[in-house]
Amino acid sequence: MVHPLRDKAAISGVGETAYTRGTPKSALALQLEASLAAIADAGLSPRDIDGVVPYFPGGGIAEDFIANLGLPDLKLSLFVPMGGATFVAAIQSAAMAVASGVCNHVLLAVGRTGYSGARVSTRLQQFPQFALAAEFEAPIGMFAPAQLYAQGARRHMELYGTTPRHFAEVAVTMRRHAILNGNVAMNKPLTVEEHHASRMIADPFRLFDCSLESDGGAAVIVSRADRARDLRKPLVTIMGVAEGHPESPASIAQRPDLLEFGLARAAPRAYDMAGVGPQDIDVAEIYDCFTFTVINQLELLGFCKKGEGGPFVMDGRIGLGGDLPLNTHGGLLSQGHVVGLNHVIELTRQLRREAGRAQVAEAEVGLVTGYGDMGDGSIAILRRAA
Amino acid sequence: MSVAATPVAPERPLPIPTRESQPFWDGLREGRFMLQHCSACGKVRHYPRPVCPHCFSMDSDFREAPTGGAIHSWTVCHHPFNFFFKAAAPYIVALVDMDAGVRVNAPLRGTDEADLKIGKRVRLGFEPVNKEVTLPFFVSA
Repeated sequence: MVHPLRDKAAISGVGETAYTRGTPKSALALQLEASLAAIADAGLSPRDIDGVVPYFPGGGIAEDFIANLGLPDLKLSLFVPMGGATFVAAIQSAAMAVASGVCNHVLLAVGRTGYSGARVSTRLQQFPQFALAAEFEAPIGMFAPAQLYAQGARRHMELYGTTPRHFAEVAVTMRRHAILNGNVAMNKPLTVEEHHASRMIADPFRLFDCSLESDGGAAVIVSRADRARDLRKPLVTIMGVAEGHPESPASIAQRPDLLEFGLARAAPRAYDMAGVGPQDIDVAEIYDCFTFTVINQLELLGFCKKGEGGPFVMDGRIGLGGDLPLNTHGGLLSQGHVVGLNHVIELTRQLRREAGRAQVAEAEVGLVTGYGDMGDGSIAILRRAA
Repeated sequence: MSVAATPVAPERPLPIPTRESQPFWDGLREGRFMLQHCSACGKVRHYPRPVCPHCFSMDSDFREAPTGGAIHSWTVCHHPFNFFFKAAAPYIVALVDMDAGVRVNAPLRGTDEADLKIGKRVRLGFEPVNKEVTLPFFVSA
């Protein structure tokens, strides 16, 4: 039986600001600038938006969107508080909203001053999902995601022989892709040697294993597929989408398996809904808060067996021209950190064949993941409609 | 009158106990590793919370638990995300499978990075940081 949500919703518009390290603009201004770009990309008017999912906490709320965009009749205001898993999970929420007829066009948007505003540890203090880490781990010197996720990476290295060379391959490949994109916070080539020589943050993570603190905004519009068909851009539909939550969701420390998180539950559901498997994926945009996180997710997505993610990324496999071109925009590691909404934008552009020098030839079906809040996961499988 | 700015020492992040976790922190202060157990099914749970996820009972009691354990994983923190830890960096934080059946994350003292391995035996210690708060740490067993 075909899943009732398959191909019922589409990504109709995408927009982003410049990704920079330094801006005088507010997070709200960046969020709205990206929103207007996405609305224009779809060929819609701001008046057409009838649902909003802003990033939370940080940036604007539904009230700001009504006040700034003059939305005449907002029918849905949602937060999906899943950190980096937020937006791909929000695609599921938005797809349900448009497929059920509640909304026609739902706007997902984020604006961030991650470089010029408050830094990551300060920002996370606002998250209720980090309350356990704040009580039990911050006092003993662990709070930043780099520290909390480092123990999982170390365990993977000890159990499976994963090495810093594997991590470096992810970092260097993302940088190469970023340079092709142009709108990126990091545009200098990066070598394996430079990765290995970068300062240690939280062993085994070095500086170039960590995603950027950058400024920027990004937005995506999820529309009813039948409405999107008549809009400006080639139709890209949502074949499958799912969110997943791990055991011990607010504490990595207490999770039975540090290397199993929400994506392990979400991925099979999304593949089922889409009616495809890993072998059908032409291009993948994988949430890359850390180099290792990509390696770990490739395993949970079924591209390789558990423990084999390290060797899998080698030999050009994840670069353009490889078997599985990955993060063709440079990702959070090299393009910019807008909690992964840039991954959704890039996948949409790939499927529309708008990805310029990073275009994957004949890209028909692609996959995007989100990962956040200590291990929440989300996945969407998109396709270029016939 | 102008006064020269006095350098302010960075503030140490301290736990703010909840109604559920208070007995755990009280235990550490008394030098005892107290863990929450379900009064109905007897299963241990950490971090403390109101409901037993196994049998859904809301009755629980705190029992003293053994302080031994084995390393599950670790990290070495070099970058001080909180300035208080700048002087201590680099420091090892070990994630330990306690014999009591839960995990504890705490600094591991007196062990060389080269000697770290999964399964290495450690023991929990108690370090008072002020009158109210005692924090855990590990030493090699």
